[in-house]
Amino acid sequence: MQWMENTFFDHLDKFGNSLGYENFGIAFMLSMVPWESPTDRDNFIRDITGQDVKGGEPSNFNPEYLEF
Amino acid sequence: MGSGGYRPEASQNDPYSVSPNGGNGQSGKFVAEKVAKATQLRPSGFAQGENTAMAQQISEGGNVSTTASAANPASQLPQAGMGADMAQLLGAIEPLDSEPTEFRPVSDGIDGFSGRGSEALPPSLNPNNRQIENTELVRRYLPDMLNAARMPGAPDSYKRMINALMRELM
Repeated sequence: MQWMENTFFDHLDKFGNSLGYENFGIAFMLSMVPWESPTDRDNFIRDITGQDVKGGEPSNFNPEYLEF
Repeated sequence: MGSGGYRPEASQNDPYSVSPNGGNGQSGKFVAEKVAKATQLRPSGFAQGENTAMAQQISEGGNVSTTASAANPASQLPQAGMGADMAQLLGAIEPLDSEPTEFRPVSDGIDGFSGRGSEALPPSLNPNNRQIENTELVRRYLPDMLNAARMPGAPDSYKRMINALMRELM
Protein backbone atom coordinates (compact mmCIF):
# COMPACT_ATOMS: atom_id res chain seq x y z
CA MET A 1 0.00 0.00 0.00
CA GLN A 2 1.45 3.29 -1.12
CA TRP A 3 1.39 6.59 0.73
CA MET A 4 -1.21 8.74 -0.98
CA GLU A 5 -2.05 12.39 -0.92
CA ASN A 6 -5.38 13.66 0.44
CA THR A 7 -5.80 10.73 2.81
CA PHE A 8 -6.17 10.72 6.59
CA PHE A 9 -2.46 10.06 7.16
CA ASP A 10 -1.46 12.75 4.71
CA HIS A 11 -3.74 15.20 6.54
CA LEU A 12 -2.28 14.05 9.86
CA ASP A 13 1.22 14.69 8.58
CA LYS A 14 0.36 18.23 7.48
CA PHE A 15 -1.70 19.19 10.51
CA GLY A 16 0.61 17.55 13.04
CA ASN A 17 3.69 19.28 11.67
CA SER A 18 2.00 22.62 11.02
CA LEU A 19 0.22 22.92 14.36
CA GLY A 20 2.95 21.35 16.44
CA TYR A 21 3.16 17.96 18.13
CA GLU A 22 1.75 19.40 21.35
CA ASN A 23 -1.49 20.04 19.44
CA PHE A 24 -1.71 16.49 18.21
CA GLY A 25 -5.26 16.09 19.50
CA ILE A 26 -6.52 18.98 17.39
CA ALA A 27 -4.45 17.81 14.42
CA PHE A 28 -5.97 14.35 14.69
CA MET A 29 -9.52 15.69 14.67
CA LEU A 30 -8.87 18.06 11.78
CA SER A 31 -7.35 15.17 9.82
CA MET A 32 -10.68 13.36 9.95
CA VAL A 33 -12.37 16.19 8.05
CA PRO A 34 -13.13 15.10 4.46
CA TRP A 35 -11.21 17.92 2.78
CA GLU A 36 -12.24 18.48 -0.81
CA SER A 37 -8.66 18.83 -1.95
CA PRO A 38 -5.16 19.25 -0.51
CA THR A 39 -5.34 22.87 -1.62
CA ASP A 40 -8.40 23.51 0.52
CA ARG A 41 -6.74 21.87 3.49
CA ASP A 42 -3.50 23.81 3.00
CA ASN A 43 -5.41 27.08 2.70
CA PHE A 44 -7.13 26.29 5.98
CA ILE A 45 -3.81 25.58 7.67
CA ARG A 46 -2.40 28.85 6.36
CA ASP A 47 -5.47 30.71 7.63
CA ILE A 48 -5.26 29.39 11.18
CA THR A 49 -1.49 29.38 11.61
CA GLY A 50 -0.55 32.40 9.54
CA GLN A 51 2.41 30.40 8.26
CA ASP A 52 3.17 28.11 5.38
CA VAL A 53 2.19 24.45 5.56
CA LYS A 54 4.77 22.13 7.11
CA GLY A 55 5.12 18.42 6.64
CA GLY A 56 5.06 16.21 3.57
CA GLU A 57 8.79 16.69 3.03
CA PRO A 58 9.40 15.30 -0.44
CA SER A 59 12.50 13.29 0.42
CA ASN A 60 10.68 10.13 -0.54
CA PHE A 61 7.20 11.49 -1.14
CA ASN A 62 6.25 12.81 -4.55
CA PRO A 63 2.56 12.51 -5.39
CA GLU A 64 3.25 12.97 -9.08
CA TYR A 65 4.89 9.57 -9.20
CA LEU A 66 2.20 7.74 -7.31
CA GLU A 67 0.34 5.01 -9.15
CA PHE A 68 -3.43 5.31 -8.94
CA MET B 1 -100.33 62.53 29.60
CA GLY B 2 -100.58 59.69 32.03
CA SER B 3 -97.70 58.57 34.23
CA GLY B 4 -95.87 55.24 33.78
CA GLY B 5 -95.36 53.18 30.65
CA TYR B 6 -92.66 53.47 28.04
CA ARG B 7 -91.60 57.00 27.26
CA PRO B 8 -89.11 57.24 24.36
CA GLU B 9 -88.13 60.80 25.31
CA ALA B 10 -87.09 59.76 28.85
CA SER B 11 -83.38 60.24 29.65
CA GLN B 12 -82.80 56.55 30.34
CA ASN B 13 -83.93 55.79 26.78
CA ASP B 14 -81.71 58.40 25.16
CA PRO B 15 -78.61 56.63 23.80
CA TYR B 16 -76.68 59.93 23.57
CA SER B 17 -77.21 60.93 27.17
CA VAL B 18 -74.02 59.39 28.55
CA SER B 19 -71.89 61.22 31.08
CA PRO B 20 -68.17 61.12 30.35
CA ASN B 21 -67.47 60.64 34.06
CA GLY B 22 -69.62 57.53 34.19
CA GLY B 23 -72.86 57.12 36.03
CA ASN B 24 -74.30 60.48 37.00
CA GLY B 25 -71.00 62.30 36.53
CA GLN B 26 -69.47 62.40 39.96
CA SER B 27 -66.62 64.74 38.93
CA GLY B 28 -63.89 63.05 40.97
CA LYS B 29 -65.99 62.46 44.05
CA PHE B 30 -65.66 58.72 43.58
CA VAL B 31 -61.84 58.83 43.69
CA ALA B 32 -61.84 61.15 46.68
CA GLU B 33 -64.09 58.77 48.60
CA LYS B 34 -61.83 55.80 47.81
CA VAL B 35 -58.76 57.70 49.01
CA ALA B 36 -60.56 58.62 52.21
CA LYS B 37 -61.51 54.99 52.78
CA ALA B 38 -57.97 53.79 52.11
CA THR B 39 -56.70 56.29 54.66
CA GLN B 40 -59.10 54.94 57.24
CA LEU B 41 -58.18 51.32 56.60
CA ARG B 42 -55.54 49.95 58.96
CA PRO B 43 -54.90 46.27 58.35
CA SER B 44 -53.41 44.46 61.30
CA GLY B 45 -49.62 43.98 61.19
CA PHE B 46 -48.80 47.39 59.74
CA ALA B 47 -46.51 49.56 61.81
CA GLN B 48 -47.44 53.09 62.81
CA GLY B 49 -47.17 55.43 59.84
CA GLU B 50 -46.99 52.85 57.10
CA ASN B 51 -50.67 53.06 56.38
CA THR B 52 -50.41 56.82 56.04
CA ALA B 53 -47.47 56.49 53.68
CA MET B 54 -49.35 54.04 51.55
CA ALA B 55 -52.42 56.24 51.48
CA GLN B 56 -50.23 59.16 50.48
CA GLN B 57 -48.87 57.16 47.59
CA ILE B 58 -52.38 56.22 46.54
CA SER B 59 -53.42 59.85 46.55
CA GLU B 60 -50.31 60.86 44.58
CA GLY B 61 -51.57 58.82 41.66
CA GLY B 62 -50.01 56.84 38.87
CA ASN B 63 -46.46 58.13 39.17
CA VAL B 64 -45.75 55.64 41.94
CA SER B 65 -44.99 52.22 40.53
CA THR B 66 -45.06 50.33 43.82
CA THR B 67 -45.95 50.84 47.43
CA ALA B 68 -43.15 48.55 48.62
CA SER B 69 -40.82 51.42 49.44
CA ALA B 70 -43.47 53.08 51.56
CA ALA B 71 -44.27 49.94 53.53
CA ASN B 72 -40.64 48.86 53.83
CA PRO B 73 -38.10 51.68 53.54
CA ALA B 74 -35.19 49.19 53.59
CA SER B 75 -36.16 47.94 50.12
CA GLN B 76 -35.53 51.29 48.47
CA LEU B 77 -33.17 51.44 45.51
CA PRO B 78 -29.49 52.20 46.23
CA GLN B 79 -28.75 55.85 46.76
CA ALA B 80 -25.60 57.86 46.07
CA GLY B 81 -23.19 55.87 48.27
CA MET B 82 -24.19 52.46 46.94
CA GLY B 83 -24.31 53.85 43.43
CA ALA B 84 -20.65 54.74 43.63
CA ASP B 85 -19.80 51.16 44.62
CA MET B 86 -21.81 49.83 41.72
CA ALA B 87 -19.99 52.15 39.33
CA GLN B 88 -16.70 50.81 40.66
CA LEU B 89 -17.88 47.22 40.14
CA LEU B 90 -19.18 47.89 36.65
CA GLY B 91 -15.97 49.68 35.75
CA ALA B 92 -14.04 46.44 36.31
CA ILE B 93 -16.13 44.65 33.69
CA GLU B 94 -14.76 45.03 30.22
CA PRO B 95 -17.48 45.88 27.71
CA LEU B 96 -17.87 43.47 24.83
CA ASP B 97 -17.25 46.19 22.28
CA SER B 98 -14.22 47.65 24.02
CA GLU B 99 -11.86 46.38 21.35
CA PRO B 100 -12.55 45.45 17.75
CA THR B 101 -12.55 41.65 17.71
CA GLU B 102 -13.31 41.40 14.02
CA PHE B 103 -9.63 41.97 13.27
CA ARG B 104 -8.52 39.05 15.43
CA PRO B 105 -7.98 35.63 13.82
CA VAL B 106 -10.37 32.80 14.61
CA SER B 107 -7.58 31.02 16.47
CA ASP B 108 -7.15 33.88 18.93
CA GLY B 109 -6.61 32.42 22.40
CA ILE B 110 -5.10 29.09 21.25
CA ASP B 111 -1.41 28.42 21.69
CA GLY B 112 0.64 27.76 18.58
CA PHE B 113 -1.70 29.51 16.18
CA SER B 114 -1.96 33.02 14.86
CA GLY B 115 -3.26 35.61 17.28
CA ARG B 116 -2.79 35.71 21.03
CA GLY B 117 -2.09 32.52 22.96
CA SER B 118 -3.92 31.00 25.90
CA GLU B 119 -2.77 33.88 28.12
CA ALA B 120 -5.61 35.90 26.55
CA LEU B 121 -8.21 33.53 27.99
CA PRO B 122 -9.70 33.85 31.47
CA PRO B 123 -8.11 31.38 33.93
CA SER B 124 -11.33 29.38 34.19
CA LEU B 125 -11.27 28.68 30.43
CA ASN B 126 -7.69 27.47 30.32
CA PRO B 127 -7.60 23.90 31.62
CA ASN B 128 -4.40 22.05 30.91
CA ASN B 129 -5.84 18.77 29.67
CA ARG B 130 -4.32 18.78 26.19
CA GLN B 131 -1.48 16.48 27.19
CA ILE B 132 -3.87 13.85 28.50
CA GLU B 133 -5.93 14.05 25.32
CA ASN B 134 -2.82 13.67 23.15
CA THR B 135 -1.54 10.70 25.12
CA GLU B 136 -4.88 8.94 24.95
CA LEU B 137 -5.15 9.40 21.18
CA VAL B 138 -1.58 8.30 20.53
CA ARG B 139 -1.97 5.24 22.73
CA ARG B 140 -5.14 4.20 20.92
CA TYR B 141 -4.07 4.78 17.32
CA LEU B 142 -0.31 4.25 17.45
CA PRO B 143 -0.35 0.80 15.77
CA ASP B 144 -2.23 2.17 12.75
CA MET B 145 -0.06 5.26 12.59
CA LEU B 146 3.06 3.08 12.74
CA ASN B 147 1.79 0.98 9.85
CA ALA B 148 1.23 4.14 7.84
CA ALA B 149 4.79 5.24 8.60
CA ARG B 150 6.04 2.00 7.05
CA MET B 151 4.20 2.66 3.77
CA PRO B 152 6.44 3.21 0.80
CA GLY B 153 6.59 6.90 0.08
CA ALA B 154 5.72 8.00 3.63
CA PRO B 155 7.27 11.44 4.12
CA ASP B 156 10.07 11.90 6.61
CA SER B 157 8.09 14.58 8.43
CA TYR B 158 5.42 12.02 9.22
CA LYS B 159 7.97 9.50 10.50
CA ARG B 160 9.58 12.15 12.67
CA MET B 161 6.21 13.04 14.14
CA ILE B 162 5.44 9.39 14.96
CA ASN B 163 8.86 9.03 16.59
CA ALA B 164 8.28 12.12 18.69
CA LEU B 165 4.85 10.87 19.77
CA MET B 166 6.27 7.49 20.71
CA ARG B 167 8.99 9.16 22.77
CA GLU B 168 6.31 11.19 24.55
CA LEU B 169 4.36 8.06 25.31
CA MET B 170 7.32 6.11 26.70
